[in-house]
Order: sequence, then C-alpha cells, then structure tokens
Amino acid sequence: MTIAQNPRPVTTTQSIVGSLLTSENLVRIFFLFWISLVIVPLLVLFAYSFFETKSFVTIYKPTLTTWLSLFDSGRLAVTIRTLRIALTVTIIAFVVGFPFALWLAKGTSNKTTKAIILALLTIPFFLDLSSRIIIWRSVLSNTGLINYIFLNLGLTDQPIDWLLYNEWSVHFGMLVTYFPTMVLPIYMAITIIDDSLIAASSDLGASPVQTLFRVIIPLSLPGILTGFILTLGPAIAAWIEPSMLGGGFVNLLSNSVESAYTALKYPVVAALSSFVMLLLAVLVVVLGLVTRRFGGFGSIFAVLRS
Amino acid sequence: MKDKFSTVSQLELSRRGFLKTTAAIAGAAAISQTFGSFASAQSSNVVRGYGVTTSQLKDWSIMEKSIGVSMQFNGTNNSVGVFLRDVVASSLGDQTDIFVFESGTEDILGPQGIYLKIDEKHPELKLWDRTPDEWKRSETVVGKDGVQYGVPVIGNADSFGYYPDKIGAAADGNEELSWSLMFDDEKTKGKVAYDQTWSYSIGVAALYLMGQKKLEVNDPADMTGPEAAKVVDFLIERKKAGQFRTLHSAFEEQIQLLSSGSVDVINCWEPAVREANKTLGSDKTRYAYTKEGYFKWGHGAYIASQAEGRNNLDNIYKVLNYYLGGEYRALQARDRGYAGPNMDLGVEYATENGWSKEDIENLSKTEQKVARKFTKPYTSTTTPTNADAIEEEWQRFLNA
Repeated sequence: MTIAQNPRPVTTTQSIVGSLLTSENLVRIFFLFWISLVIVPLLVLFAYSFFETKSFVTIYKPTLTTWLSLFDSGRLAVTIRTLRIALTVTIIAFVVGFPFALWLAKGTSNKTTKAIILALLTIPFFLDLSSRIIIWRSVLSNTGLINYIFLNLGLTDQPIDWLLYNEWSVHFGMLVTYFPTMVLPIYMAITIIDDSLIAASSDLGASPVQTLFRVIIPLSLPGILTGFILTLGPAIAAWIEPSMLGGGFVNLLSNSVESAYTALKYPVVAALSSFVMLLLAVLVVVLGLVTRRFGGFGSIFAVLRS
Repeated sequence: MKDKFSTVSQLELSRRGFLKTTAAIAGAAAISQTFGSFASAQSSNVVRGYGVTTSQLKDWSIMEKSIGVSMQFNGTNNSVGVFLRDVVASSLGDQTDIFVFESGTEDILGPQGIYLKIDEKHPELKLWDRTPDEWKRSETVVGKDGVQYGVPVIGNADSFGYYPDKIGAAADGNEELSWSLMFDDEKTKGKVAYDQTWSYSIGVAALYLMGQKKLEVNDPADMTGPEAAKVVDFLIERKKAGQFRTLHSAFEEQIQLLSSGSVDVINCWEPAVREANKTLGSDKTRYAYTKEGYFKWGHGAYIASQAEGRNNLDNIYKVLNYYLGGEYRALQARDRGYAGPNMDLGVEYATENGWSKEDIENLSKTEQKVARKFTKPYTSTTTPTNADAIEEEWQRFLNA
C-alpha cells in the first residue's frame, strides 16, 4: 500500500502531530521536563538540608542542626567569601573585557587580527583547566620564574612571597580563566549592532561617550548579561583555582563541600547549595531591578528579535 | 642513581586507576543490566577487587603465575566518602569480590552485613595461623564489635618529610625529631606545608600537644568535639603566626612542594619523599622518625557479602592468602616502602628469586623501620565516631 493510494490517514496523523506541537504544548512539555529534571531535585536537595549526619549515617529526622552548624563552623563566612571573590572577578572581567570586546567588534577592521584574537580566546576551552592553572605555581612561587628574575636582577634580595597562596593569586587565576567567557558574549552582541546606528548617533550630534551609553551599551545588554551569568556561575563553583593557587588559605564553597563530603555530610552539602541558590536568587532580583531602567529582562532580549 | 625504592609513579598509577575505574564502572553497569543474574552467578578464576590504588601490584600477572588466580582491580581514591558511597549506594558488591581500604570502614560496613566475616579456618587461608597477632588482630581488620572482617594487606607509619640540612638535623635521618618542626618552631616558620585533610592532619597535631602536656586527649584517632576544638584553636593560632606556607591536598602536590624546595617540612606519604629524592639525589630529603608518634595506617582486604553466592570463595581466599605471603610482601616493600605481615616470608622470597643483597637488606630495613615506628601511638581510622564534629571544627581552621 502506498501513501498516494490512501492519503487520508497521513493527513490525520499530520494534523494530530501538528495540533500537539503547538507552541503552547511545546512550552508545557518544556516545563514538564524542566520541573522533573531541575526543580524536583532542587526541592529534594532543600529537604535534605533539614536532616543531619552522625557517624557517616544520615538521620532522617527533621532538624535545624545542620543549618545552625553552618553559622558556627564558619561555613557561612565561606559562602560570603565565595560570593565576594566571584563577584569581584566578574566585575573586573567586565571592566577589562567590555572595552576589549568593543575594540574587537568595532575598533579593528582587520579580519586577520580578529580571527587570531578570537582563536586565542577559544583555545583555553580545549585545554584542561588544572594543567593551565598549575603552570602559574611555577611562575608565582618563591622559587618561581618571577622571583628568579627579580632576585637575579637585584630588584629584591628576598623572594616576594605574596605572589602565591593568598586571595590575590586566586583572583588572578580566576580572572585568567573567566576572561573569555565574559568577552565572547559581549563581542557577539556588539558585532550585531548595525554600524549605521552608531553613525546616526554621531550625525545627530552625540558625543562618543553619549553614543556608548545611549546606543552601544543598551544594545549589547543581552551579551553583557550572558557574560555576567556565564562568568559568575562557574566562578562561584570554582575549585581548581582556589585549591591550586590559594594554598589552602582561601577556603571557598567547593572546598567546603568537598570536606563535608569526606564525612558523608550530605545535609551540610544540601544546606550550602540551598543557601547559594538563595543568594543567587537575591542577586538576580537585584540585577532585574537594575536593568529595569532599560525596560526589564524581557525588553533587553527583545533587541535580539529585530 | 636509580632509587631502589622508587614507586615509579604513584601518580601514574592513580591516573590509570581512575581511568580504569571509570571505564569499569560504566562497563559493569552495562553488563549487569544486560546479563543480570548471569554475571553474578558465574564462577571463574578471576577475582574482582576494588580499593586503594597503592595496594596494587604493579603487575598482577605475577600473582596469576603464582596462584593461578587473576585479578581485575579497580582503583579508588583515598576518600572514605567516595568509597562508602560506591560500596553502599552503588551496591558495588554485586560486581566486586574484594574491597581493599584503610582501616575504619569495617566498623560501619561490617555490622551492616556488607562485609563477610572472615573464615579463619578456610583451607585456602594457609598462612593465617602463622600471621602475627599485631597484624591480624589490629583495629584495621577487626571491627569494634570484635568480629574478624578483614585480612591485613599493607601498612605504614606516616610522619613528615624534611630537608635535614635546612633544619639542622642529622643527615642519616635516624634521629627522632619532634613534631614541633611542623607546628611550633621558629626555624621552620613559613617553611611548612600541612595537609588540609582533617582526617590526615588533626591527629598528629593532637599528638604534638599531648607530648607538650598542653592537652589531654583520650584517643587522637577519634577526638570528641571539645578536644578537637582545642587542637584547632592551637592550629589557628599557628596559622595566624604564619607557620604554614601552604595547606596542600594531593599526592602530586606533596612531591612538587618537597622537590621544588618550596618548603622544608611537609606531612606527607613516604613515597613522596622517595619521588623527591629521585630528582634531588638520594637521601637529600628524609622521612622522619618522631618523638611523639605517627599517623599509623593499615589497609585491610574485605570480602563483599554478595560474593558468598558466586561460587568463587576459594579463589577469593587464595588472594587473601596471597596478601599474607612473601611475594606480595617483597614487591610492596621494594616498590613502595610499605610493610605488612610476614616480612620474613618476603625476605625468603627475595632470596629464592635471586634479588640483590642490597634489595634484600632493604626489605629487612623496611620491617625494622615499621617495627620501630609502630611502638608509638596512634592508629588512625577513616571513620571516627565523632567525624561530623571534628570536620566541623576543622572548618574553623581552614576559614581562619
């Protein structure tokens, strides 16, 4: 039997599939998956934080002990420290990355330069992070490259020891790691801004600064937001940089979670994670309030529709 | 000169072990789903092990030649959390016959029925009776409930590695040094690396304070919360005073810190000192004999309870017996410097197999070293009953 001989059933199937795949239903399917794959595990995680662990065994009796212990052991301080460092790194990456992305997108017309820089920015994604970070130890340590040069040039008679194993080196390592994740989305967003808009702005008498703040920044906000999220998220979860460059003196969330895990303290891990979620939610709300003067989240991304 | 004791590369082993584990777990999961009962019912001359990589022979085919049983071993790292999760939550016993891990897990998994009780009269466990009590009745293999859950495999007494010339100690390394070099000495201030894992590091700090009569602790292996708090208060004070250059966390770091000369003193595994000396020249760094004591550890081999139904117990006991024998002993001592029960059989094996005089002497030296160190406290456990409280206190140290 061929389709041509009996076209009716096919049409029916098509129309059924077609009616099922309305955009409304697609949204429902997406929500179903999202809730079961992301939201439910988060709720389970949150529920877990109200249990406690004794001698490697989780006791399934609701209690606030785990939450209270977060305050006593300084794990709360760890969370705050993690957020502080992650935010600092994100902001520095933005301050340095935005002008760089602007120059890359609009400042240089040389295609080869652009291609080389973009390739250089992408290369780190192909290399293992720990191998990239451990190199800095041999550069920054007391017996490392920088101290070797300084000592031999007579610039100092004692090795400079603040280069490694402190917050400075962790910030530095994270900045090196997360620079591309900040620059690339902003670069993309600026690239799609029509040059004629910028030309029109200056034709109408706007100064370069006005063009930057009234035209370029509002139009590149989707990229900026993406850059912030792609940088802040991994920075909060950073594990390699604090372990390798912090020398144990910069105890961040990931290290704290790892330590709790060695005693099988799942509730502590759950409470820490829930707490970070809460703080992130607060951050997103703040970000939403800040961007409201540009018309809120929705209208920012509306730029992309045009 | 090639170091006779070199471990070649523990790092390489653990990497390899990791890859193998990952592959094997994925593979095992697939197989068990497909074949289910078939996989668990079959019997063969293969024994499947899971545990710490350092308990492995570099080449298991040597064992196969000796006893006709081959080993499929998957390595884990040294985290008890990871190990317990794998064994309990993933029911690893469905695919694994023998677990090898540091002491402590038998106190938790033994009473839960996850480890099988050792049958001391099993005909294949021929060397059991001649194995000295100090090994076979140690806390590593006997549970807190007094049940024999395991067979001793290897053990050592961990202290710290140091540069004798830099700290002004005798070059031969025989002198008993105080842990003050680690915690409380002007000449090592800022030149010390301290392991940031609580289970490895807090006990030796307690030993030091006990030696100084500054603290009374009932059991350094299982301190109560308040006891741990006092040790941590002391450590925080020392951290603020700048005693520690860095707090390390991995074996590779131990080697790097020691061999680069970044620190003069580091609490580490003995193979790290051997690795460092391979680049620095022999005996440039030493592994300390101490006044106050050591982090004494032992690995035990435990049988998965599911193995009972797999018709493979004879082979499993053959392997357990092999752990007590001369070949395994000699190879472990030569390759890693680790001791274990029945070292005399190791010497016998080496002599029969034409090892050099120097190698044979080193076997005896390993035994003497461990015998000397084992007279002092304390025997560690990976599962102290107060783990949760100790870990919580340790966070204060890390956050200070």
